Amino acid sequence: MPKRLLEFSDHTAIAGVGYTPFTKDSGVSTLTLACRAVLAALEDAGLAPDDVDGLATHRVGDSAPPTLVGPALGLADLSWHLDQFGGGSVSHAVVGQAALAVAAGLAETVVCYRAINARSEFRMGGTGRGLPASFEVQYQAPYGYVAPAQQFAMYARAHMLRYGTRAEHLGALAVTQRANAAKNPRALMRTPITLDDYLASRWIAEPFRLLDCCLETDGACAVVVTTAERARSLRRPPVLVSAAAWGGGTSHLSCDDPTVTAAAALAPRLYAQAGLGPGDVDVAELYDCFTYSVIVQLEDYGFCPKGEGGPYVASGATALDGALPVNTHGGFLSEGYVHGINHIAEAVSQLRGEAGDRQVPGAEVALSTAQPGYVLPATSALILRRA
Amino acid sequence: MPGYRPEPDRDSRAWWERVARREFAVQECDACGTLRFPPRAFCAACRTEGWRWREVAPEGEVESWIVSRQPFVPGLRDPYLVVMVRLKAVPGGLVYGNWRAERPPEAGERVRGVFTQVDEELIVLDWMPESCIAIRSGENSPAD
Ligand SMILES: [Zn+2]
Repeated sequence: MPKRLLEFSDHTAIAGVGYTPFTKDSGVSTLTLACRAVLAALEDAGLAPDDVDGLATHRVGDSAPPTLVGPALGLADLSWHLDQFGGGSVSHAVVGQAALAVAAGLAETVVCYRAINARSEFRMGGTGRGLPASFEVQYQAPYGYVAPAQQFAMYARAHMLRYGTRAEHLGALAVTQRANAAKNPRALMRTPITLDDYLASRWIAEPFRLLDCCLETDGACAVVVTTAERARSLRRPPVLVSAAAWGGGTSHLSCDDPTVTAAAALAPRLYAQAGLGPGDVDVAELYDCFTYSVIVQLEDYGFCPKGEGGPYVASGATALDGALPVNTHGGFLSEGYVHGINHIAEAVSQLRGEAGDRQVPGAEVALSTAQPGYVLPATSALILRRA
Repeated sequence: MPGYRPEPDRDSRAWWERVARREFAVQECDACGTLRFPPRAFCAACRTEGWRWREVAPEGEVESWIVSRQPFVPGLRDPYLVVMVRLKAVPGGLVYGNWRAERPPEAGERVRGVFTQVDEELIVLDWMPESCIAIRSGENSPAD
């Protein structure tokens, strides 16, 4: 065993979660959304703004950084902050790094937030913004290949060609997550759908239909990270950060096998840190920018053999009453798209036993993941545990 | 305007100039001989900087494809087919292009590159079945 300078596992906790409503047009700035979510998370934890000594976010040039949010909330001297460039692949890295900062003593109370007007201001790969500032986009944009829906559809078809994954498998995931969202008062889309509804939804980029794609949402979500010791004295049941792991990923232009994500290499590190395995996970909130990204993660995080993610979902295993309830809030597909932080917040709700009609009975261990490493070669994930 | 235009950077400008002359070139590492794409200063295999252009046949195999049916790009008329091709010359290398055949691609089929004159200033590399003859290059022409 390598000598460790820092005791990390279970030494920090998420002590509060906060949301703004999810809408299609917030009518306010991302700075306003961020402030509202930060204050809501502090209220949930029973903390005051003056308790905060750290702020962290991730963004792709589309939101308010800590250097704006801090002053806007009168936080004049933050002892730690992070403005992480990146999309969904770094959402969990932000919370992991906040936990590291707290464990190292650089800060005691860090609020991690993501504020986004993904429908009314900056649509990913759509209208309202230019092309992403990416080195690789020059080799794709001339072909009309620019949007995440197109890129993930490309990877999904590769998986379909290699393993026989079918539309019905992708559809089963969309149907299951909508059923979860029907039990979530926060969800934007709560009307149940059937497989026929899925198959009848219009093409976006074959093999993806409309119901393969996440919502485009205005909203914000925040979580409060502090020491486990301090969290025990606060208002809510603490949820411990048992593991935080980072990983690589594939480039658009260089990749040996696009059907295996960086999560496959990250997962053993993550599980080892927490001292458990996939069989110990009670609930999984997996990054679902598109249906396919969940299917490939079910394989790469070890819940089913490679290539069998589709049949695993179609078997009902990921439903609320299945072997591994997945995206109990409805996910980006049906709750709303807050770029990963709402997955972490839902895991916290489940581990506190406060998820209402969608509660997984006795949930003690949750896995929550970021985008598994496509597009931007990076990924990250957390294992959270009821204290 | 017919969709987005490539924005070359300091590493890639010379590559695009070659494409404009209907040449497909990759970099060959002086030290270890590894071929690489896209153009970059360093060889990822041996981490050295010296390299030369090496013209290769634009050949590969179909790894995947999509049919885009949403107007993601102003000026492009959908549907259009984008293919992901595994390059024969570069280990692990993937490239993209529009598909220049009347029938859809097949998994793993061998394809070759065909240069498409998009407009007076821009030439790009597209892909077609190895066995076919180029049929047309007017796909994805500007919408009205
Ligand atoms: Zn070399």
